[in-house]
Amino acid sequence: MTGKIRIGFYALTSCYGCQLQFAMMDEIIQLLNKANIECWFMVDRDSDEDREVDIAFIEGSVSTEEEVELVKKVREKAKIVIAVGSCAVHGGVQSWANDKKLEELWKTVYGDAKVKFQPKMAEPVEKYIKVDYKLYGCPPEKKDFLYALGTFLVGSWPEDIDYPVCLECRLKGNPCILIEKGEPCLGPVTVAGCDARCPSYGIACIGCRGAIGYDVAWFDSLARTFKEKGLTKEEILERMKIFNAHNPKLEEMVNKIFEEGE
Amino acid sequence: MYIPITVDHIARVEGKGGIEIIMGDEGVKEVKLNIIEGPRFFEAITIGKKLEEALAVYPRICSFCSAAHKLTALEAAEKAVGFTPREEIQALREVLYIGDMIESHALHLYLLVLPDYLGYSNPLSMIDEYKKEIEIALKLKNLGSWMMDVLGSRAIHQENAILGGFGKLPDKTTLEEMKGKLKEALPLAEYTFELFAKLKQYKEVEGPIIHMAVKPRGDVYGIYGDYIKVSDGFEFPVEEYKKHIVERVVEHSFAKHSFYNGERPFMVGAISRIANNAELLYGRAKELYSQYRDLLQPTNPFANNLAQALELVYFIERAIDLIDETLAKWPIRPKDEVEIRDGRGVSFTEAPRGLLVYTLEIKDGRVAYADIITPTAMNLAMMEHHVRMMAEKHSNDEPEQLKLLAEMVVRAYDPCISCSVHVARL
Repeated sequence: MTGKIRIGFYALTSCYGCQLQFAMMDEIIQLLNKANIECWFMVDRDSDEDREVDIAFIEGSVSTEEEVELVKKVREKAKIVIAVGSCAVHGGVQSWANDKKLEELWKTVYGDAKVKFQPKMAEPVEKYIKVDYKLYGCPPEKKDFLYALGTFLVGSWPEDIDYPVCLECRLKGNPCILIEKGEPCLGPVTVAGCDARCPSYGIACIGCRGAIGYDVAWFDSLARTFKEKGLTKEEILERMKIFNAHNPKLEEMVNKIFEEGE
Repeated sequence: MYIPITVDHIARVEGKGGIEIIMGDEGVKEVKLNIIEGPRFFEAITIGKKLEEALAVYPRICSFCSAAHKLTALEAAEKAVGFTPREEIQALREVLYIGDMIESHALHLYLLVLPDYLGYSNPLSMIDEYKKEIEIALKLKNLGSWMMDVLGSRAIHQENAILGGFGKLPDKTTLEEMKGKLKEALPLAEYTFELFAKLKQYKEVEGPIIHMAVKPRGDVYGIYGDYIKVSDGFEFPVEEYKKHIVERVVEHSFAKHSFYNGERPFMVGAISRIANNAELLYGRAKELYSQYRDLLQPTNPFANNLAQALELVYFIERAIDLIDETLAKWPIRPKDEVEIRDGRGVSFTEAPRGLLVYTLEIKDGRVAYADIITPTAMNLAMMEHHVRMMAEKHSNDEPEQLKLLAEMVVRAYDPCISCSVHVARL
C-alpha cells in the first residue's frame, strides 16, 4: 500500500481487551506514523464510523440489533475486515450459554424489566459479513497484531496458524498437563500462537484462541481421552464450548465418542 | 422545540455508552447515560458451570480490570468453600492487583483524561509536543502490565491466579527486579501527581457526595476489606450489602443503577477511597496528601483524577513493602490444595474504579448463584447527576463545548462500561 494507511477499530460487545492490547503496544507509535486513525473511539474523540478505511479491526461479538447494522456498514466502508479476538471470531465467552434461550438469560438477570435497545444472543462477526482475516485469542498476542499489520503494510497477506498449542508446549519441554496430571487441557485442539502460555504456568489450556481451522481440530480424539479420564459428555462439551460454542463440528464429534461405547 | 444534545459514543472510555441531554423551557429537562454495550449475562451463563471454569471466565467481564475481577471472584470462591490463603499468597495477590491499579490509573490519566486538558482528540497526536508525558505514561503502564505478566501470566485476562494460590510463582530474582523497577517508577508517579495537581477541577459540579469504600484490612490503605465504610459514618459487613446497595433497571441502559439505602446515588473510586481512608495512607503519599488536601476534595468528581495520581505514588510504595514481606519468607509454596465444599462467599475489593463485589454460591463444585456489581454500575446514578449539574451550568454554551464538558465529567469517573453491562440479578 502506498501513502498513509487508513485504519478503523470498531467495538461490538466485548471487554475491550483486544483494543487495549493493540493500543498498549509501544510499537504502535511507530506504526501510526504510517497510518491515519479514521475511527477508534477508545482512543480518539474525533472518530467517525462512516469514514472509509483500508483496514477495519472489529472487536466483540454481535449482541444487539444495532451491532448487526454496524458490522454491515463497516464491511461496506473497508477494504480489509479483520475479526479480532475470541468474541469477534468465535462469539466469545458470552456464547458459552448458547444452549439456553435469550429470554431465559434475560429473565435471570433483568427479570421482567425492559430496556430500549434490542439484545441478541452473541454471535461471531462472520455470521453477518465476510471476514478477510482473523486474529485469534482472548486477547490476541501482540505479535499477532504486529505480524498481520506488518504483512499488510508490505502489501502481502498473513498466513493462518494451522497447528495446535500442544506443539508449542512440547517444544518448550513442559510436562504434559493432560497426560501426566490428568487435567482437561484443550491444547491439542486450540490454535497455537500463545507460546503455550497457560500450560507453561502449570495451568490447563481453556482454549481461548479457539479451535484450529481447516477441520483439523480433533474434538473426537480429545473427547475420547477426556472420557477415559472419567469426564462425562456434559463436562467435555461445557469445557470445549467456553470459547467454541458456535463450532459446527464440536457437538457431532463429541457425541460420536459417547455413542461408540453404548 | 429543543434539539437534544447527544454524544452517540463517548470516546476514550472503556466500553460503549452515550450521553443524551434534553432541554426544556426551564433549562435541562433530562440527562441520560445510555449504556448501549450489549448485555453479556455473565452471572446467568456461569450458573451451573464448574467453579474453576467460571473463575477463568469472570475476568473477561473487563480487560482494564481483569486482575481485579479474577482476584475478587477468587476470594469470593475461597470464602465460599471455607479456604483462607496463606499470608504470603495474599501479599503476592495484592501485588498482582497493584499491577492492575498502576496500569489502569496510568492509562486513564495520561491517555484518556489528559488529551482533553491539552486540547487533543487523542493521545497519539500529543507525542511530538508532550513526549515526556507519553514516555512516562508508557513506562508506568508497562510496569503495571509486566507485574501482571509475571504474577498473573499476562496483562489481560490472567490465568495464573487459581484456587489456593498460583499455578507458578516467579523466582526470587524476578521479584527483586520488580522491586527495583517499582523504585525507579516512584519519581514518575510523583511527576504525574504534580502534573494533575495543576489541572482544572470544574467547580460547577461541586456538592455533597456520598462515598463508599472498603474499610481496609490491617488498617493500612489497601484493596481488601470485610466492612464497607460510607462517608456518612455508617459501616456494614460486606455480607450485608444487599440491604444497603439496591440495584434498579433503567430503561435507557443495559447496565443497572445502584442506590444507597434504596434511594441515594453514591460514588466509588479513588476519590472515595481517599475520602474515607486517607488517614491510613503512609510514606510519600501521606505527605503529598497533607500538602494537597485542598485539591483532593470529596465534593468534586474531578478530584478523582488527582486521587488516582496520588494512588500511583501510594501503591508503588505499598507493592515494594509487600514484596519485601514476601522475600523475607522465601522460598514459598505456590499453592495449597483446596477442597471444594458447598457454601456462599462475598468479596468486596477496591478495583481501580472503585468497589467491586462478587457473591458466589457453590454447590457440588458448580456455581449455584452469582451476583456481581461493578464500580461503574454503582457510579452510574451519581455520574448522571454530575453530568446534569454540568449541563445546567453550561446550558447556553455551544453544543460542542457542552458535549466536551459532559464527556469530561464521565471520563473523570473512569467508567468501565463493558464491566457494568454484564449485569447482575435483581
